[in-house]
Amino acid sequence: MPTVADIERRIPRPDDFESQARGTALTARVGSALGIAFLVCFATGLWSHVQYSTPGWLTISPNPTQLYRWTQGLHIISGTAAIPLLLVKLWSVFPRLFIRPPKGKQALVVEGLERLSIAALMGSSLFMLASGTLNIIGWYPWEFSFRRTHEAVAWVAIGSLLVHIAVKLPVIRQALGEPIEPAERHLDPDAPTRRSVLNGAFVASGLAVLLTAGQTVPWLRNVSLFSVRPGDGPQGLPVNRTAAGAGADQTALDPAWRLELTVGDRTLALSRDELLAMPQSTHVLPIACVEGWSRSATWTGVPVRDLVALLGGRPDADVTVRSLQTKGAFGSSRVVGNVVKDPRTMLALQLNGETLDIDHGYPARLIAPNRPGVFQTKWVNRLEVRT
Amino acid sequence: MRAARAGLGAVGVGLALWGLWLMRDFNREQLTSEAFWLAGGVVLHDAVLAPIVVLLGYGASRVLPGHFRSSTATAFLIWGTLTIVFLPVLSGQGGKAGNDTILGRPYVLSWVVMTVVLIAYAVVVALIRRRSGRGRVS
Repeated sequence: MPTVADIERRIPRPDDFESQARGTALTARVGSALGIAFLVCFATGLWSHVQYSTPGWLTISPNPTQLYRWTQGLHIISGTAAIPLLLVKLWSVFPRLFIRPPKGKQALVVEGLERLSIAALMGSSLFMLASGTLNIIGWYPWEFSFRRTHEAVAWVAIGSLLVHIAVKLPVIRQALGEPIEPAERHLDPDAPTRRSVLNGAFVASGLAVLLTAGQTVPWLRNVSLFSVRPGDGPQGLPVNRTAAGAGADQTALDPAWRLELTVGDRTLALSRDELLAMPQSTHVLPIACVEGWSRSATWTGVPVRDLVALLGGRPDADVTVRSLQTKGAFGSSRVVGNVVKDPRTMLALQLNGETLDIDHGYPARLIAPNRPGVFQTKWVNRLEVRT
Repeated sequence: MRAARAGLGAVGVGLALWGLWLMRDFNREQLTSEAFWLAGGVVLHDAVLAPIVVLLGYGASRVLPGHFRSSTATAFLIWGTLTIVFLPVLSGQGGKAGNDTILGRPYVLSWVVMTVVLIAYAVVVALIRRRSGRGRVS
């Protein structure tokens, strides 16, 4: 029977790892870039949660028009950029996993706590990047709610990151102040250097962005061979939920469709022709989705505030928009008064000069500036104006 | 400096605890699944991915001619990390029934092309390195 000591001898020690490219000078540099990516990802992600469930004390302006497109595009871009950086960072410190526990109770507790914080940081970081990239393709091989868990674990990730920075700050400062290559000449001139690994990490990170970001950056569309959204669709715009997927494919085509408008106890029903007979406006507005894809399009329709005025509602009243949708979440949305007031907030009837495609929400859909895609309610059949 | 670090650490602990608080109403099934994914990433990296990379590096440093080592390492770094970034679109999973505006590209073909380009990069840079006489000739 081998003894514990025999087994311990067989487990590698940090010094057994050969690569000269590993080292604090590399770790600190990759780690700094990774930290910046995480902070950007966290801040933009938090903003998206605020956009999804806005606290009562906050009013989100319809301006800047492209704000959500930018923040959410940046969220996915920074998360994507972080993946190669995280993998290289973990590679650079892997030997430290094999540091033996220190002797002495107090040292053991300190070491244990630090390891715990690193386990939390590593587990939550990998969780965030894995769950985020799987959400983009719409694959959910788990039992938890993506949105709520991705948010909760984000706080754990950013919290343990701050703890990690606090613990390592002196080491980071020293490492960043020193040249990246070790002072002594390489014993092995053929071996990869720290500089080459650092450059490789940045190139990989940049390529990961270039090869995916075309789903939100128009001029990258033909470069991004790995983007989840090639960027096309009916009438030149991708679709998240089809009419069939929403269970609205029959009702949307019903000739008896009417837009019901209610203000208090007053109601009005308008046919599509009646809506088309009203003064139309045309605006270029983006669809910007939480999955990080976005695309601008030209929308034509009736400003919501004009519809509200038909029944004498206030021009800055809150409006609840309801849909024919019978399947899936986000079947209705609320438009707050300051967005209703904006003349670009429309009940769109046309997209890029054509009658709205059924998968884009025919007979009518909501479109408003600076608004997450899921709240651009499609197949609208009812507007309820708050009095 | 000491106070700043202590403050940063305290804020960090607070934020992490807030994250745990947000999970307070998750049911057992959700928490189990979440724990599986949280621990799964760590185990997958530390017990599978990292040892494989260490062994490949160990093997490559002994098998490859000297002038090939650096360029092969760089190509492998880029190939390996990008392959992991692209795993979701390469997996064939996800997407939505009847919606061809999502996952509508030949990802596997692009990945094969990417692999070939990176191999070509490793070979070309290695040959240049040999011609310029840098490194050891083996």
